[in-house]
Amino acid sequence: MPQPDTANDAEGAGRFVVIVVRSGGLAGLSKQWRAEPSPEGAPRWRALVESCPWDAAAEPSPGADRYSWRIEVHHGDTAVHEARLGDTQVEGPWRALVDEVRRAAPATPVRR
Amino acid sequence: MTPGIVPPFLLDRLASTDDPRMARAAEAARKTLAMPRPARPTRARLRLSIEGDTLVAETAPVPDRVVSDAANTENLPGRRVRSEDDAPSGDAAVDEAYDGLGETYDFFWDAFARDGIDAAGGSLLATVHFGDDYDNAFWNGERMVFGDGDGDVFVGFTRSLSVIAHELGHGVTEASGGLEYQGQSGALNESFSDVFGALAEQHHLGQSADQASWLIGEGIFAAPVQGEALRSMKAPGTAYDDDVLGKDPQPGHMRDYVETTDDNGGVHINSGIPNRAFYLAATALGGFAWERAGLIWYRTITAGTLSPTADFSVFAAATLSAAASEYGEKSEEVAAVRAAWAGVGVEEDAAA
Repeated sequence: MPQPDTANDAEGAGRFVVIVVRSGGLAGLSKQWRAEPSPEGAPRWRALVESCPWDAAAEPSPGADRYSWRIEVHHGDTAVHEARLGDTQVEGPWRALVDEVRRAAPATPVRR
Repeated sequence: MTPGIVPPFLLDRLASTDDPRMARAAEAARKTLAMPRPARPTRARLRLSIEGDTLVAETAPVPDRVVSDAANTENLPGRRVRSEDDAPSGDAAVDEAYDGLGETYDFFWDAFARDGIDAAGGSLLATVHFGDDYDNAFWNGERMVFGDGDGDVFVGFTRSLSVIAHELGHGVTEASGGLEYQGQSGALNESFSDVFGALAEQHHLGQSADQASWLIGEGIFAAPVQGEALRSMKAPGTAYDDDVLGKDPQPGHMRDYVETTDDNGGVHINSGIPNRAFYLAATALGGFAWERAGLIWYRTITAGTLSPTADFSVFAAATLSAAASEYGEKSEEVAAVRAAWAGVGVEEDAAA
């Protein structure tokens, strides 16, 4: 009977990754930031993540050339949260999370 | 007409409906349109020119520009720093925005007799120094907003007249009934702003279609960036190719249309297709691009009959219809517009 690979499962289950993708704007350039908090920092990051209203519907921002945002949270190989936000929605807890991810990781361009 | 809360194009559309369910609204719209409006102080300027041996004097309206400074915060509108007739402020971004708004206003008036964003002389509102190292410029539904750039990739968005006119163009589209900012209608919204961004610059420089660069955002990249501008209407996909930014992703033909959920469905990417269609029509006709191709596009957007969810094909048909109304079914303008849309794969090429 095959035994579960507990070491890998534990590692997979423990990985906690937050990804922020910013697209649009006048230039139409996409950028991505990916933060993988250390185990010690994870509780604070979880609190930041859980303070965000993930079930709120995306609202288009008025006007044009505003940024569009996609925010994803992964535990191991599982995506546990994903939200798409208009630029004017990135405030309060969303802004705190986005700023934290951007501080934690350098931006990489998203190539097509 | 003096501006009211309901835009004139909407009142016109309501007033002319024959839908019995809208009879009361139509009557109300007709009454509103017929009502005398309170007088508003208007300003005008006298322009003198010489044509042959004749001195020509003409009056033209003037813009009402208000530039504010967000002082590197994200609070709008910021502090008012330069209004109409004020002397230059000495702040480059403030004065570039002020001058660019004036040049764009002059273009819309000279080319289409349009009096500003709302076609009724409403104020042109702009905010500069928005945000901290902010790499963007946008239209927020009321005003044009310009960041300073981060200094490494972008060095300020007010340096390019095509960028200022692009943002003002979004206001014109919105005041004309709008194009939903998603997918193909969003890409048309973007393209219209690029078209009028490029035309405002060509008008200011006195360039004909074959002399123009057809670039959007020339001069806003920092020196180390490998690129000329944000976009090329002449050759979409060639504006930049840089280690940090990657390669310009714009297609110039429907076969290369990019499906994506980011950027509102690729509105800044697939706009390359209608951008190139405009370039093809304008260069086929020659001369000043705003005189014929620009007029056709302008009439298409401002007729009040274009659906806000129009896709490329619907828009192409609308430009052909506008060209036929303006110049006749058998005109070279209709032929040039038809060939332009065939050239980017939106319409079938009748000659193929």
